[in-house]
Amino acid sequence: MSTQQTSQNTGEYIPETYIPTAESHGTKELMKTFWILLGITILDFIIYFSWPHSIPMMARNITFIALGVIKAYFIIGTFMHLKHERSFLIGMLIIPAIVLLGMLIFVFLHEGNALSNY
Amino acid sequence: MSSHTTIAETQPQWAGGRSPFNVSYGKLMMWIFLLSDAFTFSSLLAGYGAIRFSYSTDLFTPWPDPSLVFNHFPLAHGIHLPLLFVSLMTLILILSSVTMVLAVEAGARKDKKTVGIYMLLTIVGGAMFLGCQAWEWSQFIGEGATLSENLFGFTPSAAEHAHQLSLGDKVHWIAADRVPGPVPFASLFFIVTGFHGFHVLSGVVFLIIIYINVIFGTYERRGHYEMVEKVGLYWHFVDLVWVFVFTFYYLI
Repeated sequence: MSTQQTSQNTGEYIPETYIPTAESHGTKELMKTFWILLGITILDFIIYFSWPHSIPMMARNITFIALGVIKAYFIIGTFMHLKHERSFLIGMLIIPAIVLLGMLIFVFLHEGNALSNY
Repeated sequence: MSSHTTIAETQPQWAGGRSPFNVSYGKLMMWIFLLSDAFTFSSLLAGYGAIRFSYSTDLFTPWPDPSLVFNHFPLAHGIHLPLLFVSLMTLILILSSVTMVLAVEAGARKDKKTVGIYMLLTIVGGAMFLGCQAWEWSQFIGEGATLSENLFGFTPSAAEHAHQLSLGDKVHWIAADRVPGPVPFASLFFIVTGFHGFHVLSGVVFLIIIYINVIFGTYERRGHYEMVEKVGLYWHFVDLVWVFVFTFYYLI
């Protein structure tokens, strides 16, 4: 990072003096993330076609969801630069999401079970 | 070096007068919008999960196996190719996400020409994704799926034939094989992928608007390309949602 950029952006948002820029943390990490995402998608594909019948399907579904969460981590963290933001912003976005999503998943699985018994 | 660096070091972050989140207003509001949009999508997917789960003990109208429904590929009519087409769509969306983030990276260097090129590539990727989705919808509708009708319940003999299919086999359904299946299967497919597709469509429109501004030098005059980053956040979010739509509709 050049000194010119550092003097413009001291990393502090003060409305009167702040000059916004598009964020960049180099292309190396971006390309690495792309290969990881591609690799996980190919892994999804392989698991889909070669899952043995002896292992319960629920384990396969949980594997897919876990791989989806890993993909989400890389998209949000690297592509949306959230990894490089201040922890207050990360917390503001991630904590409500985890709490509400957890609640929704629990409630709906519970309700789904209740619906199936009518 | 400058005066506000010292302020930053001496005052606590939540003392007021500056943002504790340390991003500009526009970017913070984009993040909050995306959080609310994530809730909308997760309620749709959770509703889908609940309805699908409720059919797991239903022996008369079992939930259709996605690999037997979404098994088409362009120019390969009547051949069992599950997951291939939708993986291609995923690849297109990931690639368009990469070109978008490269446009943001070029924007940080204030490289107008490179921003333009990468944004154009992103628009092309989004349009390709929309084209793929239109094709898939037309296949699905052509096989008798509407918002209130789903012909993907199989007769027992057809279901047996279906489960012996492997990749690349010829599929030969007869009309009598198709019986009405669970209606929410088709309607939820249209609602969830339609809602996502609408996000992609509006994303492409936003990208075109920003692209025109880049070409006309609006951001060069303004001195920064933060607008490219804001639309980039939205575009990555669309990619993020697709990861979960892909997981819940096609993989599971």
